[in-house]
Amino acid sequence: MKQLPTTCPSCSGELAARRLHCERCGTEVEGRFDLPLLVRLPIDDQTFLLQFLKADASLKEMARILGVSYPTVRNRLDAIIEQLKRSESGKKGKK
Amino acid sequence: MNMQTGSKPITLLFNPSIYIAGARALLLGWAAIFLAGLLGALSATHFDGVLDVHTNPTGSPPTPLWFFICEGFIAWLCLTAALLITGKLTAPGGFRVIDLAGTQALARWPTIFISLIALLPGYQRFTAYLLDQLLNRGGHFEFVTPDAFAFFCVVLVMTVLVCWTVYLMYKAYSVSCNVTGPKAVVSFIVAVIVAEVCSKTILYFLMRAI
Repeated sequence: MKQLPTTCPSCSGELAARRLHCERCGTEVEGRFDLPLLVRLPIDDQTFLLQFLKADASLKEMARILGVSYPTVRNRLDAIIEQLKRSESGKKGKK
Repeated sequence: MNMQTGSKPITLLFNPSIYIAGARALLLGWAAIFLAGLLGALSATHFDGVLDVHTNPTGSPPTPLWFFICEGFIAWLCLTAALLITGKLTAPGGFRVIDLAGTQALARWPTIFISLIALLPGYQRFTAYLLDQLLNRGGHFEFVTPDAFAFFCVVLVMTVLVCWTVYLMYKAYSVSCNVTGPKAVVSFIVAVIVAEVCSKTILYFLMRAI
């Protein structure tokens, strides 16, 4: 599956969904749907978060799985949280 | 998912904290400090301060083995304590003391090489000659050109090794406390200066006590 684009290739603005399609019956819903914050993260960060949840949100377990140290995992998580906070405050500012 | 900043061997050399931290780093670091002290006793090389390396092959004043070993541990402890304070002030979130202490201990592993290269006889002889000249001890040693060359080469390599150690200390601090940029550089420099003064003072009083 192609990676979901979240920014406009022309002006780098945020993209929103206009149409959703049901894979089973083919129904299509049109409107304006904002992409969730988590979807706006780079695919690497999304994979990291998914793996983190699967590891019972344990930093120690994540460090073991990834073969890196505890502070490396924690720093990565902090960076993602910071990114989410920035995106969130950016969205609030626009509203 | 890629969490590495470069190839693993290069990262292990210049930023091992990415892979090793906590209790494992602490044990490895303590072993390295102990070994460096032990070899330091053989080569009469002192790590008498956070950034200090001094060789005194004249055996005057006489220094016990435990003192050589203690020097490295005192330097590590002082820097860890100072970085703990600067880390608390600058870190954006919380951090584990064991990570800071462990990675700082591990960062001192290049001191093993410093103690090793100080064992070179040419370096030892020329250091003794220099001390003899500087302290006017009666000219027991002669100037030997190959020894002077060996001394120059060893000092050059030692300088590189000390720079490497300091770089490792900085990276260890940056990773374990999650501080980067100018804030990390300035707070690290302040901590090193404070730790240098503290370690020198402690070692001075310890030396006087023996």
